[in-house]
Amino acid sequence: MGVMLILAAALPAAGALAVWRLRRRPYAHWIGAGAAALAFAAVAMLPVGRGSGAWLVADGELTGAWWHQVSIEWAPSLHLEFSLAVDGVSWTLALLTALLGVLCCVHNAVGAEQRAADLLGADRAASAPLQVPAGSFETGGPSPAARRVRGVPADGASGSASGSLQEPPGSFETGGPFPAAAPVHGVPSGAGGGEPEGDRWQSPILTALLLAVQAASTLVFLTDNLVLFFIAFEAVLLPMWAIIHRYGDPAARRRAAAKFALFTVAGSLLMATGLFIAIADTGTADLGAILLHGGVGDDRSLLVFALLALGFAVKAPLWPFHSWLPDAHTAAPTVGSVLLAGVLLKLGTYGLIRVAGGLAPDGAADAAPVLAALAALGILVAGLVCLRLPEIKRLIAYSSVGHMGFVVLAFAAGTEAGVRAALFGNLAHGLVTPLLFFLAGALKARTHTGSLGALGGLRLAAPALAGLLGFAALASLGLPGLAGFWGEAFTVYAAAERGGAWLGLAAAAAFGAFLAAAYLLRMLRRVSHGPVAPAVYGIGDVSAAEAAVWAPLVAGTLLLGLVPGPLLALFSEGLL
Amino acid sequence: MRVQDIDHAALLPLYLAAAAAVLALLAGRFAKGAAMTGLAAAAGAAVWVGLGPDRATFAVGEWHSYVADDAAMGTAALFAGLAVLVAAVSGRQAGEYWFLLAASAAGGIALAGARDLVTLVVAVETLTLPLYVLVARPGRAGAEAGTTFLIASVTASATALMGAALLYAASGTVHLAGLGAGLADAHAGLTAAGVALLLAGLAFKLAAAPLHSWAPLVLERAPLPVATYLASASKLGGAAAVTWVVYFGLAGEASAGITAAVLSVASILIGNLGALVQRRTVPLLAWSGIAHAGYALAPLAVLATAAGREQAGPAASATLAYAVFFVLLEAGAFAALTAVRPETADLFAADPAPEPGPGPAPATGIGAAPAPGTEAATRAATDTATDRETGAQVASAERRTPKADLQSGGPRGSVLKADAGNAGLQRRDDDPGGRIAELSGLWKAAPLPAAVLLTAVIGLAGLPPALAGTFAKVAVLEVLASSAVWLAVVVAAGAVVGLAYYLPLARVLLTGRAAAAPRRYAVALVLAGLALAAVSLAPQLVLDFTSVSR
Repeated sequence: MGVMLILAAALPAAGALAVWRLRRRPYAHWIGAGAAALAFAAVAMLPVGRGSGAWLVADGELTGAWWHQVSIEWAPSLHLEFSLAVDGVSWTLALLTALLGVLCCVHNAVGAEQRAADLLGADRAASAPLQVPAGSFETGGPSPAARRVRGVPADGASGSASGSLQEPPGSFETGGPFPAAAPVHGVPSGAGGGEPEGDRWQSPILTALLLAVQAASTLVFLTDNLVLFFIAFEAVLLPMWAIIHRYGDPAARRRAAAKFALFTVAGSLLMATGLFIAIADTGTADLGAILLHGGVGDDRSLLVFALLALGFAVKAPLWPFHSWLPDAHTAAPTVGSVLLAGVLLKLGTYGLIRVAGGLAPDGAADAAPVLAALAALGILVAGLVCLRLPEIKRLIAYSSVGHMGFVVLAFAAGTEAGVRAALFGNLAHGLVTPLLFFLAGALKARTHTGSLGALGGLRLAAPALAGLLGFAALASLGLPGLAGFWGEAFTVYAAAERGGAWLGLAAAAAFGAFLAAAYLLRMLRRVSHGPVAPAVYGIGDVSAAEAAVWAPLVAGTLLLGLVPGPLLALFSEGLL
Repeated sequence: MRVQDIDHAALLPLYLAAAAAVLALLAGRFAKGAAMTGLAAAAGAAVWVGLGPDRATFAVGEWHSYVADDAAMGTAALFAGLAVLVAAVSGRQAGEYWFLLAASAAGGIALAGARDLVTLVVAVETLTLPLYVLVARPGRAGAEAGTTFLIASVTASATALMGAALLYAASGTVHLAGLGAGLADAHAGLTAAGVALLLAGLAFKLAAAPLHSWAPLVLERAPLPVATYLASASKLGGAAAVTWVVYFGLAGEASAGITAAVLSVASILIGNLGALVQRRTVPLLAWSGIAHAGYALAPLAVLATAAGREQAGPAASATLAYAVFFVLLEAGAFAALTAVRPETADLFAADPAPEPGPGPAPATGIGAAPAPGTEAATRAATDTATDRETGAQVASAERRTPKADLQSGGPRGSVLKADAGNAGLQRRDDDPGGRIAELSGLWKAAPLPAAVLLTAVIGLAGLPPALAGTFAKVAVLEVLASSAVWLAVVVAAGAVVGLAYYLPLARVLLTGRAAAAPRRYAVALVLAGLALAAVSLAPQLVLDFTSVSR
C-alpha cells in the first residue's frame, strides 16, 4: 500500500508533465483526466488493509495510527525525508483533492471539445456577427450580450429594489470591454479581438497546471515529514499563481495573482519558521512522533503556535488575513476557483488543525480565545459583506471566509466535538463551494455576466441549472439533511458548550449562519426568480457532460448530509 | 635545520590550477583549451583529495595554514568548476584572458584551503587581482566599472587587513585555530574592532552591505562572462572566507555574531529595496544578490548569543551551504544570460558606442531610469498612454511587437508596460543583459537558456520546483529558528519581497512573442542545468561537504 501512497502524489505530477509534453495533441486533456482518475483510484484504495502501519501508543494508551506509511531518505542534514503516511483525517482530504482534480480535468476536456465544435460551426456559418469573441466565454469581454445588458439599470433602477446600489453591470469585474484591450491586442476590435484569450482558455497547459496543484496538495495532505510539508506547501504556489495569472479574468488577474502569491508566501514562510522552531525543539521532523510526544516544550509552545497559526490563517483564510481571497477567487477561471475553494483553503485548515494544533497543543489552548474571536468576527463580517455584493462569483468567494470562520471557531473551541465539527465543516465546504463555483462558472459562460442585477428568471430559462443552484445554496447555508448542516451546527454547539464568553461567540456564529441564509436566499431571488432578464433569455440548460461533472458533488453533499456517521468515525480514529 | 614536510597531494588542486594559468599564458591559440583542461583537472583532483582522508600541511605546532578537508576540497572543486563554466561561455578571447581567469581560480582554491589570516588575505587578493583587468572593458563605461571595482576592492582589502592586524595584536597569532584561545583574555574593544573590520572587509567579496555598491555597477558594465564569474565564484570566495574566519577562528566571539547580524539585516534591506526598482536584468540579479548575501550571512548571527555559540558548527555549515546553492543558481542565471545576449563578449575588441548621458542611474543606486536625454525615455516617463500608441507604431516594424510585451507586462501601469513599446529604441550597445523586457518570449525562442534561467530565477526566489533554492532557504531557516527567531522573520520578509521581482522576471521569460535569440554554449548550459538538477534532487551532495563541523 505504500506504493499507492506514492502513486497518489506521483500520478498527478506525471500527468502534468505528460499533458505539458503533449499539449499540441487534441487528446492532451483526456490524458490529464486519465491521470487524475488513476490518482483518484490510488487514493480510494488506501483504506484497503488499513492498520498495517504501526499503532501508536502514548502513555500506554492507543491513540490512533497511520493506516500506511512509507519513507525514503532524502536529505538527513535538513531533517528531510520523503515520508508519506495516511490516516482518516488526511485520507478524506486527499480523496476530496483527487475527486476535484478529476472533475476539473474533465470539465476542461469537455469545455475544450465544445469550443472546438462551436468554432467549427461558426466557421461553417462564416458570419462574423454570430461569432462570439472567444475571450468573452470565460472572461466577459466585449460581446453583444453584455452590450444588451447595459441598458438594464437605466430603466430597471425603479423596478429593482436596490437598483441604486447596483454597480452598472458590465463594468464590474467582468463585463465591458477591458479598458486596455484595444492597445494590448493591437488589432482592430472585431471577431479576432479576443481570440488569443480563447485559445488560452482551452489550452491543455491549464490542465497541466491543475494537475500540478493537485499533486502538491496531495503531498501536503499525505506527508509525515514537516520539511516536506513545507516544500509541498510552497510547491502549490507557482502553478496556482500561473492559473490565475494566465487564465484569469483579464481585468483583474494580474493584481489578483500577485496578491495571492505575496500573501501565500508570507504565510508559508512564517509557517516555516514555526515548523523549524518545532524541529529544533524536538529534534525530529517526524509529524507522527511529535504528535505522540505531545508537541514542543511549554516555553516554545505559544511562539510555535502563533507563527504556524499566522501562516495557516493566511491560507485558510481567517478574517483579517483574507483580503487576497475574494480577488483571487473572482479573477481565477472556474476550475481555478474550484481548486482554490476545494483544496487550497483546506491546506490552511488542515495545517491549523493537525500541524499547528498537534505541534503546539498548549499554545493552541492559550491562543484559542484570540483565534475564536477572530473567527466569529470573520463570520459576521463575511455575512454582512455578502449581503451587499453585486457579483455572484465574488459573493461565493466571500462566503468562504464565513465558512472557514466556522471551521476555525470549532477548532478553537478545542473540545473533541469541536475538532470533529471543524474537520466535518472543512470537508463539507470542499464539496459545496466547488459546486457553487462550477454553477456560477456555467452561468457566467452562458450569460456573459455575473452581476446579480443583470440576472433573473433563471428558473424559467434553465430550470435544471436553477434547481442545482438552489440545492447548492441551501447546502451552503446549512440546511439540515445536507452537508453544510453538521459542521456549522456542531460548531455552535462546541462553542456554547464551553460557556462563559464563548456563549457570545456561539451566538455570533449562529447569527452568522442566519446572515448566510439571508445572502444566499438574496442571491437565489435575484438569479432564479423574477422576470427573465435579457441576459438570461434563451440560454441552454444543463448539458449531459455538465451533469456528469457535477453529479459526484451533489451526491457527496447528500451523502454527508444524510449519513454523517461513518465520516465522524473516520475522524475519531485519526491521529490528532 | 629541520625542513618541514609538505603534503604535496593536499596541494595538488592548487598546483594544477596554477599550472593551467601558466600554460594559458604560454599556449597561444590553445590557451582556452589549456585553461579549461587544467581547471577541470584541478576540479577532479580536488574531488579526489576530498574523497580521501583529510590532509593538512604547513604546520606550526598543531595549527595548519593549509587544510584539505571535505569542506575545503568541495569548495575548491566548485571554484574550479565555476571557472570552467565561465571559460565555456566566454567565446573567443585573447590569451591573457585565460591566464587571468585561471589565476583567479587558483586564488579561489588557495582560499578554500587557507586556515590562517595571512594566507587567507593573500588568497582573497589573488582571487580579486586578475578581476581588475577582466572587468575593465575599453571605453568610458568599462573604465568606470574597472575603477569602481579597483577602489572598492582596495578599500575592502585595507579594511580586512586592518582587522586582521588588530586581531593579531589582540591574540598574538594569525592561525585561525589559535585565535579562539588567544582572544579569550584579549582586550574586548580591540577584538571587537578587529572582528568587525575583518568581517566587513571580507563581506565585500560577497557584496554584502555596506560594501555592496560596487556590485550592480560592475556587474552590469563588465562583460557578461566576467560578470558570471563575479556573481558566482567571486561571491563563493567571500562566503568561504567569512565562514572559515568565523567558524575556525571566532566561534566564541559575540562580536562576530553581532557584525554578521548587522551586515545581514542591512544587506537584506538594501538589496531587496534596490532590486524592486530595477528594469534591467543584470542589475536586478546584482541587487537581489546583495539580499542573498544577507541571507547567507544570517545564520552566523546566532553567535551573538551564548546559546547560539553552541550552534556555531551548524550555523557556519548553513552559511556555506546557502552560498553554494546560491552561487550555483547565480552561475546558471548569468550563463544563460550570456548565451542569449545579442552581441558576443569581445573583451579586447573595438570600443562600443559612447555613453549617451551622464552617469546612468544604476551607478547611483536606486532607480535605473533610462539615461536622461533620450527622447523615448522622457516620453516613457511623462505620458504612458501616448507612449503606448507611439510605441506601438514605432515598434510594429520591429521584430518584437509591443503586443507581446504588453500582454506579458507587469501590473497595470508598471514600468514594463510603459516601456514595452520602446524596446527597440533604447537598446544601447554596451548593455550587457539588457532590459528585462527584452527577454520576453525567450521560452519559445531559445528553450534551453530559458529553461536554465527560469530554473535559476525560481530557485533564487526559493520556490519549488527549483528545489535548490528551497533547500538553501530551509538550511538557513532551520538554524535561525533554533536561536534567532527575529532574524528568521527578517529573512522570511526579505524572501516575500524577493518574490515581487522574481515572479515578473519569470513571467516575462514565459510569455510574450518570441524574438530571434542566439543559440550558443549549449553544452555549458546543459551542464549548468544538470548541476542544478543534481543539487535539487540530491541536496545531500552539497550538504555533506558544506558541514564544516564534522
